[in-house]
Amino acid sequence: MLDVDGLRKTYSGRGREVEAVRDLTFRLGEGELACLVGPSGCGKTTLLKCVSGLMRPTAGSVALDGRPVTGPPPDMAVVFQEYGRSLFPWLTVRGNVELPLKEKRLPKPRRRELVDGALEAVGLGHAGSQHPWELSGGMQQRVAIARAIAYEPRVLLMDEPFAAVDAQTRADLEDLIRGLWQRFSMTVLFVTHDIDEAVYLGQRVIVLSASPTVVQDDVSVDLPDERDQLTTRSAPRFAELRAHVYREIQNAKNGGGGPSGTGATGTGGAEGSGADGGGGAGDAEGADGEGGADGPDRAPTATGGRR
Amino acid sequence: MSANETANTTATVSATARRGAAAAARMLGLPALLIALWWWAAVSSGSFFLTDPGTIAATFTEVWVSERFLTDVLPSVGLLLTGYALAAVLGIGVGVPLGMSTRLRAAAEPVLEFLRAVPPPVLVPLLMLLVGLDASMRTAVIVSGCVWPVLLNTVEGVRAVDPVLADTCRVYGIRGRRRLGVLVLRSASPQIMAGLRQALSIAIILMVISEMFASSSGLGYAVVQFQRSFAIPEMWSGIVLLGLLGVVLSAVFARAERHALAWHRGLRAASRGD
Repeated sequence: MLDVDGLRKTYSGRGREVEAVRDLTFRLGEGELACLVGPSGCGKTTLLKCVSGLMRPTAGSVALDGRPVTGPPPDMAVVFQEYGRSLFPWLTVRGNVELPLKEKRLPKPRRRELVDGALEAVGLGHAGSQHPWELSGGMQQRVAIARAIAYEPRVLLMDEPFAAVDAQTRADLEDLIRGLWQRFSMTVLFVTHDIDEAVYLGQRVIVLSASPTVVQDDVSVDLPDERDQLTTRSAPRFAELRAHVYREIQNAKNGGGGPSGTGATGTGGAEGSGADGGGGAGDAEGADGEGGADGPDRAPTATGGRR
Repeated sequence: MSANETANTTATVSATARRGAAAAARMLGLPALLIALWWWAAVSSGSFFLTDPGTIAATFTEVWVSERFLTDVLPSVGLLLTGYALAAVLGIGVGVPLGMSTRLRAAAEPVLEFLRAVPPPVLVPLLMLLVGLDASMRTAVIVSGCVWPVLLNTVEGVRAVDPVLADTCRVYGIRGRRRLGVLVLRSASPQIMAGLRQALSIAIILMVISEMFASSSGLGYAVVQFQRSFAIPEMWSGIVLLGLLGVVLSAVFARAERHALAWHRGLRAASRGD
């Protein structure tokens, strides 16, 4: 349903061209939850901006249900990393969630129903009359998620939405996203730099190479649908997948290998959960070729550094 | 037990009252001192031009609580508010498109800088010739001075709209008038309010100047008339009235601002971590 085909984005500035994304092709099926993970500065945000229609790609195309995306499509919602800057501080929580629905010209009872439902779903039923800045960071991001859900999108894009919240809140929010995805049957594309998060959340993890970016690997996550922070994360299969993705990202950063093929997920048992030792190592920001128009990816966490 | 509580409550009440009295004393202490000094200076110097506060107060009610209120004060305040409102509408109306378009801004900036640098009182003789001596000329003088802080602050405020918020609007299809109201003007409102605040004091100054130069009524005219006819206590009372007018207008403005920018104060307090 979401087709990204040969996507390429170069920035030109100060006489030189920077190739942020070289050639990206992938496809998301209806109702899929896929995570995009890649080394720091690999152009994840650029990619997401192109997919959401906020930015024109230099070449290639993005299509939603076969229709080319030239601007933000009406049935797509985006949750940004900077929750504090994506909510309107002069509107209440309710006002923020309701605003896009007003633009959709929904009648008032329907708006009320959607807003109540969405706030309830993210556990903020009581906070409707507060202003975003009266809430904690995690709660603010919940408001942004509620706004996205109330919009009733078919596709939900999330750009490192939990990069700026603390670890415990983050675990809660991850479970929230899984729950909402199952309940509202949306197609979700979740961008993250955190390998654990990608494996825990996704049905599928698309691993990106370092900039200039191509798809390094496409891993299908064969964990059970019911996931749990404790049991899922301690399952041997989780560790295997995690190690596999980690190795792919290391390969990607060293520029070695190239795509190692789809579905090669059975490897890496030996590395198991012991791979933690390498957490955060060698995450050089030097590969940041995204150019000025799109700030570098923040938070240099290469792997699950939050145990 | 209950007697104790009552005693506590009484103590709290009297403590609050004491604090209130102390605050009032702090607030009124300096004005009282200055008035006393003035009084002493006026009496001891014996100068004809230095009127003591008692006489000014007596003259004040005599002069202004009369038909002068209708013939001089109200027209002046009306002129002030009309000019100010026009300047606000014009400044915001022109500032928003300039803030949104880099190209427009580049084209208009040198001209704006020049026009802003022209001191508005110097326009009085020119406007007397162009527009005539009536109220519209005085309104034009006020507008020509007040529009710049509003305009330039609006441009700055609109330019500084957060790109993430702008992206959010695009994603959710918020455009046109709703975008203008909910994103652009609200984002820029702290700067716009700052511009309006500056413009308010400029408006009072220009109202007085334009009336002194070219009018047969109004506060500025009255003060000059009193001075020319050596009605010194009356002249003083006019000056006091203008001061009071300024205080009242700025208090009204502060109230409006507090209401409009409540979110801004809250946001700043939150990001400081209070």
